[in-house]
Amino acid sequence: MEIFIAQVINGLSLGSIYVLLVTGFNLLLLVAMIIHFSFPVVVVFSMYMAWIVLGLTGNNIFLGVAAGISSAILFNIITAPMFQHIMKKRGEVDINSTMVLSMGLGMIITDFLSHSINSGFPIAFPDNLTGRAAGPFIQFGLISMSRGAFLALTVGIVFVTGLFWLLYKTKQGRAFRAIAEDPNGAKLVGLPILKTGLQSYALTGFLGGSTAILMAILLGSASPGLGDQLGHKVLAVSIIAGLGNLKGGLIVGLSLGILEALVQGYWTGTWSNAIAFVIMLIAILVKPKGIFGMKL
Amino acid sequence: MGQNKTSDKVILEIDNLAVSYGHVNALKDVSLTVNEGEIVVLIGANGAGKTSIMETVLGVNQVDSGTIKFQGKDITNKPADKIVRSGMFLVPEGRGVFSSMSVTDNLLLGAHHNLKGSKEKMDYVFSSFPILGERKDQVAGTLSGGERQMLAIARALMSSPKMILVDEPSIGLAPKIVNDIFEILVQLNSEGYSILLSEQNVYKALKCAHRGYVMETGKILLSGTSEELLNNSEIRKAYLGA
Repeated sequence: MEIFIAQVINGLSLGSIYVLLVTGFNLLLLVAMIIHFSFPVVVVFSMYMAWIVLGLTGNNIFLGVAAGISSAILFNIITAPMFQHIMKKRGEVDINSTMVLSMGLGMIITDFLSHSINSGFPIAFPDNLTGRAAGPFIQFGLISMSRGAFLALTVGIVFVTGLFWLLYKTKQGRAFRAIAEDPNGAKLVGLPILKTGLQSYALTGFLGGSTAILMAILLGSASPGLGDQLGHKVLAVSIIAGLGNLKGGLIVGLSLGILEALVQGYWTGTWSNAIAFVIMLIAILVKPKGIFGMKL
Repeated sequence: MGQNKTSDKVILEIDNLAVSYGHVNALKDVSLTVNEGEIVVLIGANGAGKTSIMETVLGVNQVDSGTIKFQGKDITNKPADKIVRSGMFLVPEGRGVFSSMSVTDNLLLGAHHNLKGSKEKMDYVFSSFPILGERKDQVAGTLSGGERQMLAIARALMSSPKMILVDEPSIGLAPKIVNDIFEILVQLNSEGYSILLSEQNVYKALKCAHRGYVMETGKILLSGTSEELLNNSEIRKAYLGA
């Protein structure tokens, strides 16, 4: 029983990371109206930027965290005009072209990371960030939680709660939801579509950058291929939950984390990805439009 | 109906407007004016260009040539959010309410540019449309057609507009509800709102409007006071079945 609880807790931490990634992806889909499946690659890019700054500043955590978060925000805002250019030109949502653009950006980043940083070898984050050397952060018998796991879970809960608050209780969130439901109708009531879209790029940049830091703490390392691997998972989770369905993404993201942790705990770590995808395959065969329905 | 005092001051002035969607000419050489305090109706069949005029005035469509002036200022090709901010609001064809959002949220979207005083505006709207007050926490998707139309009009009022564009409000509504909606528009007009209305329900629309324009395939064919148009033999033949 203790192993089970321990693995569920681990799974929830990992799941929080998935939830943050899926939520960022879904927000871009709903408000900016793009399929940015390389969003997790941008997150891994931000991990690398944090690692570089940590190296340059003698492992100054504050500067490292700031670098990780700001590089994701900057990357999103700098690339936003390209996506928006496609939308403006077509005068409507053009998911196909934005997908190609996203794919291209993802390939460029992955190539850059595998050629130009640390000669393409995996990077490791310093102990003063990950808290590895300090041992478990919380311990009850077999149930223990590393600092990374604890942070991922708490920050995940705080961010997702904050995000839902923003969406349902603020003026900006109202505009986000209106554009998500009916972009044309939103234009007709005078909502500033491009400006609101840009706000969603900045917000998801912040979410992505924060996730990058949590991943650095939780995983302790990163490799150039990590972004693509996460990109596949995030796309799968989003489609299985129902594209654009934020609540669905929350549930499926957490479930995937728990599933992987249980497979690792009871069976074998090396097969957890494959098993997760087998279960996701079954889910998509049973419910092609997603378990919770598309919100597009 | 239509007894509201109008002034000679022009609030909306459209001059030689041309708009095309790709190779299709949607509007050709359209000129019209709306004076302060007037209800002006655009009459015409589907595809005559009524919605195109409304959306172009609101800044949604690209203008090829011609000018649009609102309250004396040139607003040609200005973005829609700027035009809405300057005091114009559209009640779209098919209501355009957000069905997954609550009645309150829909109303607040109307006040997006100026949330100051939205509490008072909401109270005013609920006193004019008590049914919306009763349903304020329901999502708009659960409302009836007439209630949605009221919500779309109430949402326009939340923006404190000088002028309201109302696109085919009677579409898909029962005759009794249509009468209610026209009464609401006349009431709003008497409170000082200038209204540009588009309708296929020609008789009822002319009964409540001051003036009208008859459109066909993107052009204006005829214009005149409501009385002139109601007595015009061609219009009687084409639209009133007499």
